[in-house]
Amino acid sequence: MEKYFNASYIWESFPMLLPYVKVTFLVAGLSVLFGTLLGFILAAMKIGNNKVARKIANAYITALRCTPSIVLLFLVYYGLPALAENFGLLLDNVDKLFFIVITFSLQFAAAMAEVIRSAYQSIDKGQFEAAVSVGLSNFQAYRRIVFPQALVVALPNFGNSLLELIKEGSLAYTIGLIDVMGKASLIIDGRFNAHALETYIALSVIYWVISIVIEQVFFKLEKIFSKGKQVIKTT
Amino acid sequence: MDFKFLVDTFFVALSGVPTALIITIISLLIALPLGFLLALTRINQIPVLQRFAQVYVSFIRGTPVIVQIFIVYSSVPLFLTSIFEKYHIDKNVYDINPIWYAFIVFSINTTAIMIEIFRSAISTVSKGQLEAAYSVGLTNVQALRRIIIPQVLVTALPNICTATVNLIKATSLGYAMSLQEITLRAKVAANVGYNYVEAYIDIFLVYLILCSLVEYLFKRYEKRLSKYKIAHA
Repeated sequence: MEKYFNASYIWESFPMLLPYVKVTFLVAGLSVLFGTLLGFILAAMKIGNNKVARKIANAYITALRCTPSIVLLFLVYYGLPALAENFGLLLDNVDKLFFIVITFSLQFAAAMAEVIRSAYQSIDKGQFEAAVSVGLSNFQAYRRIVFPQALVVALPNFGNSLLELIKEGSLAYTIGLIDVMGKASLIIDGRFNAHALETYIALSVIYWVISIVIEQVFFKLEKIFSKGKQVIKTT
Repeated sequence: MDFKFLVDTFFVALSGVPTALIITIISLLIALPLGFLLALTRINQIPVLQRFAQVYVSFIRGTPVIVQIFIVYSSVPLFLTSIFEKYHIDKNVYDINPIWYAFIVFSINTTAIMIEIFRSAISTVSKGQLEAAYSVGLTNVQALRRIIIPQVLVTALPNICTATVNLIKATSLGYAMSLQEITLRAKVAANVGYNYVEAYIDIFLVYLILCSLVEYLFKRYEKRLSKYKIAHA
């Protein structure tokens, strides 16, 4: 056993892997940005009165929920250039990051649509009506009354989706992105496939720490934002 | 777009469905009871086991499945080799069917998720239910089986459905262990003529059908179980 497993390789891997956490966060950050925007649109379509829009949003969310990230990633990576070619666009020299961000934005949007919808619907309609009745404009009522309350409800789910996104983002290595995961496979290749286990242990520790930190941050945020929360007794 | 290839490969991808389903079912069969028991240790605050369950859940939920796959896939052969060498068992570890590694990885993974699901579901059943069951003379096991578990299942079922769908999706990562499931079969078929777009459309469709079907079945079962639901006053 000893000749195969050497714990010093775990320590050696950390300084090599850590600089690439940046890339992991870059992918996650961009996907959160675009995914949340698209998620808002989808949630609006689901909440709105237009039947066709609601059907489209539902179909989108179901389809995305049923697709493994890796399949979606390759579908975008191979499918998008083929699709663009029909319109005379060449996407051969586009950075891989572009496809990866599109993939995870699409996926994150489906998750966010549900998060936003459930948060919005959890706020009693009377809150909005009361705000309007005291003379706030529609926009003011949303910004000052509905949004702060919906945010508290959405926060834990948003945190969970973000964690999922970071974890699923590890699959970007399959199309050659060098994030922490990609770097780990490069290190293993560099060691001629020996001591793969030690490298993966170091990698899992990095992911674990990231997850715990994000979890704690969202836990704290939830506490801060729910400071002004007043529970309405419905019964 | 090569439509003949599209249709042909669809059935190639479909032939991987049994593998994906076997892994899903075996993992669930192991994870459901084990997750329930470990969730009980956290509810009853059994000292060592509770701590173990907590760290275990945190680690599994904090790391990507693909990393877990690589860890198991590179560590289990090491253990086996040293055991085989010690007891002079003449067997090559590399002859082991990768499906065994898949069973290990996905059972470990799903158990952690089940612990969380059952933990939150058990805490929704009020303590009075258990006390009432004891007071009419039911034993511990009887109270669990007849009173607590049916109610827990009702609240846990939507989450178990999500976990099952996620598990089916996660089996697509079996390619890392060269497991002959949906994704790998279609991908290999595509390697011949570089028809990757068609192959991935097929894979997409197969997962879509499979997961929609699973969701539908869970919804129907949920309806049947809902007779156990307590009407909230």
